[in-house]
Amino acid sequence: MRKTKRLFRFVEITSGFAVYPGYTAGLPDFFYLHGTMPGTVEGKKVFSLLEVMESVRRTLSERYGSPFWVKAEMSKLNHYTHSGHCYPELLEKKEGKVVAQIKANLWKEDYIRINETFLRVLKEPLKNGIMILFSARITFDPVHGLALRILEIDPVFSLGELEREKQETIDRLHKEGIIGRNKALRLALVPQRIAVISVETSKGFADFRKVVDENSWNYRFFYMLFPSLLQGEKVAESIGRQLERIRLVRSHFDAVAIIRGGGGDIGLSGYNQYELARHVALFPLPVITGIGHATNETVTEMVAFRNCITPTDLAGFLIQQFHNFSVPVREAQQALAAGSRQWLSVAGQLLAGQVPVLGKAVARFIHLRGLEILHLEKQRDLLDPKRILARGFTITLHINKPVYKSTDVQPGDALKTLTAEGSILSKVTRTQNDPNE
Amino acid sequence: MSEKITYTEAFDELQALVSEIETGEISVDQLSEKVKRAAFLIKTCKKKLSSTEEDVDKILKELEGK
Repeated sequence: MRKTKRLFRFVEITSGFAVYPGYTAGLPDFFYLHGTMPGTVEGKKVFSLLEVMESVRRTLSERYGSPFWVKAEMSKLNHYTHSGHCYPELLEKKEGKVVAQIKANLWKEDYIRINETFLRVLKEPLKNGIMILFSARITFDPVHGLALRILEIDPVFSLGELEREKQETIDRLHKEGIIGRNKALRLALVPQRIAVISVETSKGFADFRKVVDENSWNYRFFYMLFPSLLQGEKVAESIGRQLERIRLVRSHFDAVAIIRGGGGDIGLSGYNQYELARHVALFPLPVITGIGHATNETVTEMVAFRNCITPTDLAGFLIQQFHNFSVPVREAQQALAAGSRQWLSVAGQLLAGQVPVLGKAVARFIHLRGLEILHLEKQRDLLDPKRILARGFTITLHINKPVYKSTDVQPGDALKTLTAEGSILSKVTRTQNDPNE
Repeated sequence: MSEKITYTEAFDELQALVSEIETGEISVDQLSEKVKRAAFLIKTCKKKLSSTEEDVDKILKELEGK
């Protein structure tokens, strides 16, 4: 072993905390160095494949004796539930292009320990597509080749990355001017028809149903479930797909409710993804969230029309909207009754005021009529033939017709003269035209 | 009554009617008509709170059709 000959050196890279190993060496040196003895075929030194691989393995294990810290994106975790081991794919990108890539091993024991730390610190499990800072050793296996064995992953670094991604989403939505778009929508006066994004068996959905179905005001809701994953890596994609379905039939709905509950605080970082937050912000119906967790508000909740914390609160919010509509209607009914009574009472008072006036008028009317009648009676009395006869006048009839003038009768005609008491029958002897003769 | 009116319209009209009656901007002759109208609007609004005409099957059919 020639320790004086350094075949690799550590290179400090710009970020300052990761150390990349590298080496410069010619292949034959290794072989001799490690004492591998080649066979000879037609004057050429020939090695078996295993000899080569073993030599590489030994060299690497000697040169990369101690673990080192690396920063990389874990594009895939590749967790095999049966064995419990993970075979993560690690890579580095520059301007969207992969510039370095390697397989890794994360053995069962390490995985369990690291995942628990992640759940505690990040409220997220280890998963695909996150930036990680990890301690690793280079391993080489004659069959499986080169890999990094992950020993430790720094949860604080990944947490910082998640926070940074969340902030990026917020900044981007701000910049695009759409962060307040859903909040600016007008919620229907009676938000009655709800498109629910949830899971049939979710406790949160059950809580929601309990409140809206059993409300004691007889408010009637219509809701329809659009099933979706509610946590984990695929949450953004899954909710996005259901939002698109709802968009097709949006005329049937007043609002969208994203309901999750009983799932703890794990696996919610998907709600900070730009695509989902944007989808919600730009959705044509108000989106109300009841995702039920105790951690910081996610971006999706931030941009939603209303974030109700829990599914029960969400249902309560909807009921409150019904109250807000129902109370003024009831008040209107009361105001209407009161208003009408007021009107009738005013009219009544006006009428009441008129009664004495009317009474007087009627009395006066009756009095005047009475006088008139008296007068007429007098007149009638004056003209009554009986009264005239009583005063000494008589009436002379010829064939039952009154005799008005002397020429009405001829000598010899029979006359009947009516007096106040009895009548006189006579005969005409002579007539004269001059009444004074 | 078969008149088609959305509950939002009904609600707005009702509010206007009530304020008319309260501020006394109508004559007693109109009162009966207005009260009748208001009663109809109240009925419409109350009915809205306790009924809905949406149908899951219909919506599903629309989703499949598109």
